[in-house]
Parts: sequence; C-alpha cells; structure tokens
Amino acid sequence: MRDLKHIHFYEDLLEQANNELVQKAKGEGKACVAYTCYYMPEALLNLDNSFSVRLRAPHTGSLDISQYYMSSFICGYSRALLERAFEGGYNFIDCYFASDTCQQMVRVVENIHEMNLIDNKRFYYNIIDAPLKVTEHGTEFYINQVKTRFLEPLRDKFNCDISEEALKKAVEMHNRMCAIFEEISEMRKEENPKITPREFHILCLVSYACPTYLILPYLEETLEDLRHRQKDEKNRWRARVVVVGSEIDDYTFSEILESCNCYVVADRYCYGSIPGRQQIKLNDKEPILDQVCRNYLETNQCPRFMSQDKIQGRRDLVKKLVEEYKADGVIYEQAKFCDFWGYERMLAGRVMQDEYKIPTTQIDREYVVSGSGQLMTRIQAFVESLEIKKIQAKEAKNGKE
Amino acid sequence: MEKNKHIADNYKPKTCIYKRREWRGLKDTLYDFGQWLKLWGILAGWLLAHPIQNIKALFRYRWMYTYLTVVSFFDRLMSQMRGAALRAARNNMNTLAKIVTKHLTILFSADEHLHPHSKRAKKKSEHIILIDELLPGIFGAGFKGYNTILYQVAPVYLPSLINQHAPVHYISQTESYGLPADVCPLPSYEAGVAIEDDFCKVGKCFISCNMPCDGSIMTSAVQDRRHGLPTMPLNVPLRWKREEVMDYAVKEYKSVIKFIEEQTGAKYDYEELRKACEIWNEQTRMKMEKWELNKTDIPPHTGSTSWLYRIFEYQFACGNAAALKNDKKVNAILRKQVAQGKFPKTVKHRAIIWNTPCNNYANFNEWLLDCWGIDSVCEMIDFQGSEIIDTSTPETMLYGIAKMAQGATMRVHTKGGYEVILDDLWVKMEEFNADMVIMFEQISCKGVAAISGLFEEQAMKRNVKFVWVKQDLMDPTSISRRDMRDDINKFMKTVMREEPLDESLVDFDDSESW
Repeated sequence: MRDLKHIHFYEDLLEQANNELVQKAKGEGKACVAYTCYYMPEALLNLDNSFSVRLRAPHTGSLDISQYYMSSFICGYSRALLERAFEGGYNFIDCYFASDTCQQMVRVVENIHEMNLIDNKRFYYNIIDAPLKVTEHGTEFYINQVKTRFLEPLRDKFNCDISEEALKKAVEMHNRMCAIFEEISEMRKEENPKITPREFHILCLVSYACPTYLILPYLEETLEDLRHRQKDEKNRWRARVVVVGSEIDDYTFSEILESCNCYVVADRYCYGSIPGRQQIKLNDKEPILDQVCRNYLETNQCPRFMSQDKIQGRRDLVKKLVEEYKADGVIYEQAKFCDFWGYERMLAGRVMQDEYKIPTTQIDREYVVSGSGQLMTRIQAFVESLEIKKIQAKEAKNGKE
Repeated sequence: MEKNKHIADNYKPKTCIYKRREWRGLKDTLYDFGQWLKLWGILAGWLLAHPIQNIKALFRYRWMYTYLTVVSFFDRLMSQMRGAALRAARNNMNTLAKIVTKHLTILFSADEHLHPHSKRAKKKSEHIILIDELLPGIFGAGFKGYNTILYQVAPVYLPSLINQHAPVHYISQTESYGLPADVCPLPSYEAGVAIEDDFCKVGKCFISCNMPCDGSIMTSAVQDRRHGLPTMPLNVPLRWKREEVMDYAVKEYKSVIKFIEEQTGAKYDYEELRKACEIWNEQTRMKMEKWELNKTDIPPHTGSTSWLYRIFEYQFACGNAAALKNDKKVNAILRKQVAQGKFPKTVKHRAIIWNTPCNNYANFNEWLLDCWGIDSVCEMIDFQGSEIIDTSTPETMLYGIAKMAQGATMRVHTKGGYEVILDDLWVKMEEFNADMVIMFEQISCKGVAAISGLFEEQAMKRNVKFVWVKQDLMDPTSISRRDMRDDINKFMKTVMREEPLDESLVDFDDSESW
C-alpha cells in the first residue's frame, strides 16, 4: 500500500514529547497538562486554555540516574519518565496530574516534585485517590476528586473555563477524535485490512501525545485518505491477534509484530485505543463532569479494579474483541516489574487458554523494545502455532465432511 | 552483657537450634523456663482438645508443620533477654499463642477439607466471616455470634515468621503458574496457597481489600477463584492523610456491613462494636505508653517480640479482652523497671528500623543487639492505626475504624504519599533520640524502592548514620539471613569502625534453621 497521508509527520511528532504541535499550543499560551493514566479523564483536560499530553519518553537510553533514585526493580516506563525529567525533557509541562493507582507511577511525580525537576515557574501537580470498584459512592468520590484536584486548579491557576458549556465543548471535541478511531477500527475487522498495525499504533499515539485541537484536522485528513486507500491484493497477514496488557507507547512493538506478519486487530493496552478512543455519549439530564467521570470508571480496564464484576468484565471484553475482530489469538503483554499486569497476565492468560479455549501467549518486555530479538522469536513462534492450529482445524473440518 | 559471650557456640551447626537452654542468671532462667513450660502447656492443651482434627490438619496442610517449631521460634526471639524485656516478651508471645490456638480450633472444626460431609462443620462454617489479613478484625465484633477470621494469617503470615522455609514452596508454585519472581513474596505466597488449595475451606463470605500494596490487590483474584465465596472488596482510601477521603471510607464500611448482613442474615450490633472499640482504645493507650517508655534512656521494650505482638494485636486481637489484660500486665512490668532505672543490656546504638521488617528473619533485632549492641528503639512496622476511636455514636465508630484501617500495618507508611514514610523517619528519629537508621531495602517493595534515592540524599544532608539492609520479606532464597547480617557487618566495620560485642555472631551459617 502507498504511504498513509501525514504518516511521516506523525512519526516526527513522536520523536519527542515536546513536539511541534505541543510547542505550537504552548506558543498560543495554553497550559500543558501532562498525565499517564486512564484514570485521568482526558476528555476534560482539553479546555479552552489547556491541552493534554500523555507522557512518553522517546529514545530512552541509559537509566542510570533514575535507577539510583528508584532502584532497578521499577518498571522501565516509570524510570524512563524520571530520567527524562532529570534531563530537562519535561520543562514544557505546566501541570502533572496523576492518580494514586500504580504506586510506581505515583512515585515518579513525587520524585519530580521533591527534587524540583521541572524548570517551569508555573509547574503544578496533583494526585487523586481513585476507587478500584464502581459504586455509586465511589463514583461520587471520584467526581469530587477530579473536580477539586484537576478542574478547579485549572480554573484558578491557568484561567481555564470549566463551566458546563466549556466541558461540553471539550467532550464534543474528544468525541470527534474518537469517531475517527471508531471508523478506522472497523477497518481492522476486514480480512485484508487497509491499515497496518504500525500505522494504527502511530495514529493512536499521536492522538494521545498532541493537543487534540491541533492533531484533529490531520487525523480527519488521514481518515479521508484511508477511506479511498487501495489495499494490497495479497493478504500478507498470517495471524490476527488481540494485544492486551500494560503501557506501550512505542510503535516499534507493532512493527515487530508486523515484521512477523502478525496483525493486531485490537489494542487493549494502556495507550491503546480500547478503551480511550470510543465516544462518550452525553445526556442532558446530568452534569457533564458526572457523566464523563462515570464513563471513565466504567470503561476502565486497569487490573487494579478488584471487584468480581470488573475482573470478569475484563476477561469478557477480551473474548468479545476476539470474536468481533475475528482474531486467532491473544497476546498478553506485561511491562517488566508491573505488578498489576504480572498477575493479570498470569491469571487471565490461563483463563483464556484453558477456559475460553482461545490460543494465548504471555510475554513480558522492557520499556524499550526496539531490537528485541527475543520478543520477535516469541511472536514468530506464536504466529506459527496459530497457523498450525488453523491448518489442524481445517483438516479436522475436511475430515468430518 | 559481657563482651564475647560466644552465643553462636550454643547453636547446633546450620540450624540455629540451641544445644542447651540459655543461662540468664538464676531468677531470669527460672522465669524463662516457667514461661517455656507454660507455652508447652498451651500447645498441649490445644492438641489434646481435638487430637484427630489437629493431626488431620497436620497431614492436610503443608504450612501446618511449621507450627510444630513454634517453641524454637519463641526461644530465638528471646535471645539474651533479661529482666522486664524477657517478661514482656514471654507474656506477649504466650498470649499470642493462646489466641492463635483458639483461632486454629475455630478454623479446623469448621473446615470442609478436614470434615467433609459434616453438618456440624458446615454449620460452624456458616458462622465464619472471612476478611483479608491486613484488615483489622474489629468491625466483625458487631456481628455477634459470628467469628471474624483473617483468612491468610494462619496459613501465610504466621508460618512466614516462624519458619523461613515455609513460604518457599508456595512462592515456587505461584511462579510456576506464571507470576514473575519480582513481585512481593507476601501476595505471591498467598496466591501459592490458593493454587495448592491449602486454605481451609470455611466461611460464609469474604471481604477482600486493597491493602497493603498493588500486589495484594491482585492476589485476591487468585484467591477468589479458589474459595468461590461471595466476595466484596473493601476499598480503603490511599491518601489517608486527607480528610476528604473519610466520607468515602465510611460509606465503604457501611456497604461491607450491609453485604455481610445480606449474606448471613445477621443484624449488625453497634453496642458490641462499641465494647470492642473501647477495649481497642485501651490497647492503643497501652501501646502509646510503651512508646513513651522506649523514648527514655533505658528503653525496656524493644526487639522483634514488641513489633510482632503489635502487628498481631492490631490486626488479629484488636478489641480482645485477653490481649488487653496482657498489655496491662506487661506495661506494669516495664514501668517498674524504668522507675528502678535498671537496664540489663549492653547498648551502643539506639537505632530506628525503617521499612517493612523481614518476616523470614524476625529475630534480626535480637542479632543486632547481641552482636553489635544496636538496640531497635523504634520500628516503622510498630505504628499501625493508633488514633483513639470516638465511641459516642455508630457514625463516629465507623469513622474511627475506617481511619484505623487506613493506618494498617505497613501501608500506614507505604501509602499516603512519599512524605508519610520519608518525613516521618526524621520525626521519629528525633522523638526516640536515635543515633542511626537501619533501612530495609525490601527488594520487591516497589513503593519504597521508588523513593530510595530521596532517603539516601536526605540522610546525607542530615549527616545521619544510615545503613541499607537488603531483604526479600518472605523469600530466603533470594536474600538469606546471612546476607542481611553481612550488610550490617560491613557497615559496622568499615563505616563505623567498630568491634562486635560477640565475635561468634558476626558470621555463622543458619541456612537450615527454621
């Protein structure tokens, strides 16, 4: 297939956290709100005078300094963020909003605060205490946290409009972006899709890493281009998989899968599109804040949700994705030292394989995956096993006939 | 204590078992021997009350054999103790033994694994409410006629203290199942017991919780699958210093009470809760007095029996009249010694021990004192929920127990923001007039590891003598007791340039010890 419109521009944007569009929005006087977790209601952070950036640490190399401060047993993503903060790579951010969910991630912002690592006079941070089950009083608690610890400081310190109308406008803009991803996601259901896993991953990452209002026009043009894109005649994909797991903000991961002719039909991981790139349906009965917060709690797939309905819900969602997107198998991936996904991978991986009879493989990986021959070998082996299963199933079917 | 007592010469090679009982002078040796006999009496009484059931348990549960070694464990914890310290330690631990043996009887007599098809056992089981071991059991007092059992205490927490090898098999099971080896051994051990089906099969319902850490949140899913009981997670807020979380915290307790009422058909009795809270308030006051006594120049109540009993009391025996009776007795003994100005131990340093202690080396404190004269006058693990509960109304009591749960063992410092564990260290150092910090580097505790640089830097700025001791909580296969001692030995010799009080204790092999 020919190159997708703007794809090289997107690749450039992902080269650094403080990318061209972030600089442009900052130049317009808007406050940059950094965050890392789905507990942050992204849809509410892109207000009239603010924009959100989900933090990444592209081109991470040595982690010596962060290793000294955080030890070597901490997930690579957390260490990479702290290292980049030490290097001055996040001086452009005005706010850092976090949630006391994954303790390693919280410690990043706490270290940044204690050591005064952000060279920005306007810098402000806050951390919410978020519930790990969905109940009426839990939602009320979460709404109150988001209101008092994120929105009100944005109003008071950064002059953002947080009126009902402003919030509605922010959600509508968010929904415009999600509508693009919903349409592109549909394309992934096709047998020979017209978008590659690498391309989808790039689109998804820029949508998180850039100001929504600036990336939106580009994404709309890319969608239009995709609608008319000619597919390759030959279907090169040997297997279709759902990827489930912890944070992946480096599209090299998808490149590795792509190089094994393994197609990612659904990206159910942190920084992926499921959840995060689905429209939030609003009603006129409740305040926007309440509706959005409830949406983020209900759609949240973080393994820290420990109620039985949520645990079962996570497994059912993966099963549904396999069926809906016609996947051959599931890859459960875990960033090394991530406790949440370590357990979830172990247990849900077993459930998929043994109870749901869905071929599943489990991998753990470093934050930087480029050049990981080991990862490629694992993926190749899994793809081969899926192919063998397909051949065996076909033979069994023919035999019966 | 005179120099070079050659204490290690009294150990059987590798096992750390005494060749002969310690001589502590006539009076103390007699007291110690009397209490030792009392312990045997407690154990024999328990065994003989239900001999078949208990022997069946011994063969059914791998962790159960660990309890056979409890006498040796107690001896290790009381190494070289004299006077009030010895009396306090023996009384604390024998009280613990009494309460635990009762608990085992409740568990085993209702256990479907031991009594399959028994209607009697089933009936008993229906009167058991299981809760996570990190939750203080006090709120269960309101369910009169029901036993609130901390699910993981008997098979996990206590064995990990008594016998260093007890967790190894279960952790291996979890890792064979696919869990990475870098997670905390506590939840990993719990998951292993579930995978092996080695939890007692009892209970009407289960209350899980998000304490103390991320790993513990996740292990509950593994346990849920095994026990299959109706389960409700109690979400204990993390930012416990913020008043704004309290409304949610109280509502969580209310929803849990409602859930248990629905499951059991029982009605919650706030009058019973009030009685338990009042006992707990007294227990807390007793603990506060102990802390005050330890701030004096002659700290009488230090070492592992002190923190171990406190953990046990906070989680397991909160609101327990027998525990309070023991507290009163122990405090009187301690008070008397301080008033007399007696101090029967050689102390060269007053240390603060920070971060979670190592379960598989519970008597590390005693080694520090015997070998290097380092007395642990203050332990981080000692400071669980120590606010007095207002018992005037049901609302205030729920507020109190919700607050108490937020200040649970370990998480009172490991959650709530980095300031909670970092700043409080320097505060406590001053309060307890400590001259050095022994900081555990629990290699799988990511919340503390992730701010280790801040500790290091602040210690340097404050010019504090600060030593890191690596450990892995319950897994001696990654870091052994000998490795832990080695960290201290190196520091004391190279940085402090000191000589040990007892050369025989500097390096010895206890790899086969329980």
